[in-house]
Amino acid sequence: MALSKQDVAGIADYARIALDDEELEEMCRYMNETVQILQPIREYDLEGVEPTFHPIGDLSNVMGEDVVDDSVRALDIDTALANAGAKRDRYFRVPSILGNDGGDR
Amino acid sequence: MASLDELSCAQIARGVADGSFSATEVARASLDAIDAREGEVQAFLEVSRDLALAAAAETDRRRAAGEPLGPLAGVPVAFKDNMHLVGTRTTCASRMLENYDSKFTATCVQRMLDAGATPVGKTNMDEFAFGSSTESSAFHRTYNPWDTTRVPGGSSGGSAASVASGEVTLALGSDTGGSIRQPASFCGVVGLKPTYGAVSRYGVVAFGSSLDQVGPFGRSVEDVALAMCALTAGGRDPYDSTSQDCSVDFLEHLEDPIEGATVGVIPSLMEAEGLTDEVRHAIEAAERALEDQGARIVEVELPNMASSISAYYVIAPCEAFSNLARFDGVRYGYQEPGCATLAEQTALSRAHGFGEEAKRRQMLGAYLLASGVYDQYYYPAQQVRTLITQDYARAYEACDVILMPASPRTAFRFGEISDPTQMYLSDMYTISNNIAGNGGVSVPLGLGEDSGLPVSAQLQGPAFSDRRLLRFARAIERAFDARGKVAPAFAGKGGEL
Repeated sequence: MALSKQDVAGIADYARIALDDEELEEMCRYMNETVQILQPIREYDLEGVEPTFHPIGDLSNVMGEDVVDDSVRALDIDTALANAGAKRDRYFRVPSILGNDGGDR
Repeated sequence: MASLDELSCAQIARGVADGSFSATEVARASLDAIDAREGEVQAFLEVSRDLALAAAAETDRRRAAGEPLGPLAGVPVAFKDNMHLVGTRTTCASRMLENYDSKFTATCVQRMLDAGATPVGKTNMDEFAFGSSTESSAFHRTYNPWDTTRVPGGSSGGSAASVASGEVTLALGSDTGGSIRQPASFCGVVGLKPTYGAVSRYGVVAFGSSLDQVGPFGRSVEDVALAMCALTAGGRDPYDSTSQDCSVDFLEHLEDPIEGATVGVIPSLMEAEGLTDEVRHAIEAAERALEDQGARIVEVELPNMASSISAYYVIAPCEAFSNLARFDGVRYGYQEPGCATLAEQTALSRAHGFGEEAKRRQMLGAYLLASGVYDQYYYPAQQVRTLITQDYARAYEACDVILMPASPRTAFRFGEISDPTQMYLSDMYTISNNIAGNGGVSVPLGLGEDSGLPVSAQLQGPAFSDRRLLRFARAIERAFDARGKVAPAFAGKGGEL
């Protein structure tokens, strides 16, 4: 079942990537074409096969003590803000979350 | 007078230690080579001249003070631009991070510096490592030093080209589906993708978290082995939960004979569609070279390998979508001006910050993770990953390593592969190894009989057998006399000590 341009617009909204009409068409073509190379995955009989979400699964994670790390690895506020596009005092600054009218979005 | 083109890492470190030359002289030789060669290669996104000279001066100070020097003392090294290094930007070759200033240093970078290496700069790549040609860099192309009408491969194309052109002696790259081994093959250098977990990824911008691995490029197997010693020194990195202690001496058994060892070959892969005759012939010659050194060749099969591209293009985009969600235009990265709402700012920042391929991969991942679609692709892909991993385990019961091409063909021309899905197929020999989490190395076999361009063998091994892989790579290198060659068009341009 091919993805429609409307489907792709929904995915773009979910992925938070603004695409104009022409880009949506191009993306739609790409996604339908790429989904074709994924088809072998669906042709398997995988009854009883356990998934491997992560390679080398029998090795354990590196765990740390559950304490605040005050050493150099914790960024201070100025450093953490240094790459931000907009900031005010000690905070990241963002546009209105709800919109100027405080409405639906 | 020595030339940086001719020196191995060990020779540089020894020369610095015994006073034959200073680390500062080596750094200047590398920077001179960059000045002379970079116009035609364009391997770098940033040359860190000041950092290089400061690090070299520190090495020279240590020597003068009688303090111990590291095994990479004075060795000029370049880092793929997805690795944080304080004092440089980390752009991932994306407009999204064009002005991103590194606020900490990646463990892999730090370990190279701790070993005494001199950081010369940050190298070009496919944007966020999405690609196999470095053409998706938002900033510029990188040219293959063996033929500047051709791509260097990717995604770590800048790292491979910087080593192949003799601008630096070592470089680090990252490999999610072949991004070290394929450009190493296109550029005629040695490139190792270590076993998943062998090298810390802390401070390396994530693409596919269950696939990504950092590894070195060098002009010889010995240089790559020395880099691995530095990268694994200190064992586990507590800042990367997947990091394992792999600190062994990678040089120790490098020259051991391979007599009596078993090398697997996969007949079906040697008949695969798209494999060129010259690559097939070169791999057959590598097979004979290993046999001549006393290895036994056995046929093995990886029955599910043909599905690895499908599994990869499910798993990798899903992980990329998840990882790249952090680029929200707020905390760092490109921020669209003049937006009325946060949602608008996010969607427009991502639309204008990311390039085409980065958007395609994220869109694909977003779709594949959607409710209802997940069960059709993502979950079965992880089950197929189990089958591929089991295939490898069975194969390694019969052999010590597997020999195959690194790439089905030699370097292609700019623009030659414009269809993204065709580009994806160029990783057909490398991807399955990332899916299983095993190590793999590209080692040059000289120039192809038809194209006259570098051809490489790829050796794959079981998890955590990276030292063994380098021993077999060394056996091939010995037979093909392909060690340490700078691309001829660039050899001798600058770089004198």
